[in-house]
Amino acid sequence: MNLLLRGAAIAAVLHITPVVVLVKRPDAVQTLLPGADSYFARDVHLSDPDAHRLHELVDWSPEDGVLTFFGGKAGATVVGALTFVRVDTPHGPLEVAVGFTPQGAVRGVIVTKATVEMKPWVLEAVGAGLVERYRGLKPDDVPGGAAALDGHAGKLAVYVAGEVDKGVARGLAAYGTFYAVRNAGA
Amino acid sequence: MLYDLARADLRIKWLVTCLLATLGVSYVFGALMVSRYAGFTPGRVAATYAGPEMSMPMPPESTMVMEHPMSMADFAKPEVHEVDTNLLIQDTHVHVPMYGVIAAALSLVVAGLSLSQGWALALITLLFAAPWLDFAGMWLTKFVSGRFAAVTLIGGWAMGVGYLAVTALAIHQMWPRRRGVDR
Repeated sequence: MNLLLRGAAIAAVLHITPVVVLVKRPDAVQTLLPGADSYFARDVHLSDPDAHRLHELVDWSPEDGVLTFFGGKAGATVVGALTFVRVDTPHGPLEVAVGFTPQGAVRGVIVTKATVEMKPWVLEAVGAGLVERYRGLKPDDVPGGAAALDGHAGKLAVYVAGEVDKGVARGLAAYGTFYAVRNAGA
Repeated sequence: MLYDLARADLRIKWLVTCLLATLGVSYVFGALMVSRYAGFTPGRVAATYAGPEMSMPMPPESTMVMEHPMSMADFAKPEVHEVDTNLLIQDTHVHVPMYGVIAAALSLVVAGLSLSQGWALALITLLFAAPWLDFAGMWLTKFVSGRFAAVTLIGGWAMGVGYLAVTALAIHQMWPRRRGVDR
């Protein structure tokens, strides 16, 4: 019986809470692609070698081997691109939107989804200035949001900032390897 | 029989009743959560677990790029809640132990009921088989065919049926109606 109760307690502690939308996708798109009046989606179906390359870079493979970027244009002028990246954590998934300028630097980062449990940690981290730390990063840069927040926010906010760092690193690697390169070559 | 819920101490009967009521509440909210995230039809369950993997199971030989226009309305469309392999591994790791604990708790209740050995064994088997079917259906839907979504639905309904059967029998046997009261 003791084992049974302990098992129940462990299972209860590990139970993942539902995902909540923190910022709706259309709002994230309008924020990260300002002024755009038309949009397109670019699906990059990765071959095995390319998927392996990405995995080597950031220890991550996209869902179903497909990277999806969304581009925005104002008339004929490209205003940038963004991608939504999911990060699986022991507390459930997070979704991070990473937006890029046409020059390939990070325009902004928005945490669009988190679990009910992680939501207050995300709000604290964002309130402590987490997303501002990513602005201007280039594909070869390493995001340091968690390090910047260390000592300025609670431990759980710093923890979640580390998970957002992972999402941004994935977005940077994916953009730098499979979006910016193709655009430069086009 | 040493362990007979019908003749058990009032405190044990109350404990079992509270356990069943608590599990009942969690089952109701579990069903609500399923209706929000996966749905109760084979089509919605298949969309949740199979995802695009069913349409493109193998990676291309060389990386392919496809573009299509998007409108703001496309961004606003309700997203299908998709469970990919990583999340399914996590879900299985987290949920299966809990389902095992629930099945064990309900089986302990079954063991205290006045049932033939055959019926008791059948109920215990149902209680443990239901979550197995539930998760087996998810994995088969993801990696074999979307048709296995039905297995997940059968598993989910079987969990509900098992719980209701145990609850109805336990309440009936522990709290019998008084008959033949003289006036």
